[in-house]
Amino acid sequence: MKVEFKLFSLLFAFSAIMGIIYGVFTKWEEPVGTVALFLTAGLCIMIGGFLWWTGRKIDLRPDDDPLGEISDIEGDYGFFSPHSWWPLFLGASGALMFLGLAVGWWLVMLAVPFVAVSAIGWVFEYFHGEHSI
Amino acid sequence: MTAVGTMVWLASELMFFAGLFAMYFTIRSVAGDLWNERTGHLEVGFAFANTVILVISSIWCQFGVFKAEQGKPSRDGKLWQVGSWGMREWYVLAYLFGAVFVSGQVFEYSNMFGEGISLDSDAYGSMFYLTTGFHALHVTGGLLAFLMIIGRTFTAKKFTHHQITGSIVVSYYWHFVDVVWIALFATIYLLK
Repeated sequence: MKVEFKLFSLLFAFSAIMGIIYGVFTKWEEPVGTVALFLTAGLCIMIGGFLWWTGRKIDLRPDDDPLGEISDIEGDYGFFSPHSWWPLFLGASGALMFLGLAVGWWLVMLAVPFVAVSAIGWVFEYFHGEHSI
Repeated sequence: MTAVGTMVWLASELMFFAGLFAMYFTIRSVAGDLWNERTGHLEVGFAFANTVILVISSIWCQFGVFKAEQGKPSRDGKLWQVGSWGMREWYVLAYLFGAVFVSGQVFEYSNMFGEGISLDSDAYGSMFYLTTGFHALHVTGGLLAFLMIIGRTFTAKKFTHHQITGSIVVSYYWHFVDVVWIALFATIYLLK
């Protein structure tokens, strides 16, 4: 994962240096841009650091081999739900709840049980009973 | 794959809080007098204790992750034998500490509100309730996530790799929210 780590480190260095230059040019009196640039640097180093840390724990992947073949990375990629209705229900009840913030708190109260049921339905869909993954 | 996705999402969450921090510093730079007057209402000692509770909650959460990585969902001894605890017990403890933190925030809100600082009273009130309020919503979301992760260990027959991944990414989120609070605490309560 060295390439990915280097990519994000580069972005981190760019944002941090730009943040310093921005700060000096605005005499550190304009906070919004400075905060945004430094936290963009934080955004990059968060992902970069995670990739570095993960890359240390796992062996080299076929992706890291310049002479690798596509067939090298065949196999199990993880679990993907074949079909699920829960995201639709969760989206609809979430929309109802946030509409409630504009309309009135009574609608939020009505929507909360729907959000709860659909969130629980989604999270537990493949984690109950005999066939849990 | 789930872990990388969570990290990318958390990085975007960082930018969401970047907007809130930028708002704080902007309002502060144009309304300095308001700050001098309003920051006297803050209860720094109380907020510090609350911060410590949230940080400790993160530690319990990490102990739970270690147990999850060992593939141990629940305790194999008695409740008071802390060494025999599994992920479930540590997560319940982390949940309780997080819940105390949110309750402390509600208490702090009622104090501030009682002293006439509300969301629409002035710029300081807007800033205070928006930043800490969005953070408290995140903590509440994390608490609900804890409940679901704990619930899964009861409903599923086996403690599988998928469950371990789920508990690890919830811990990422929890640590992230914790770190954001430390930054918020420092800017609102210490920087004044």
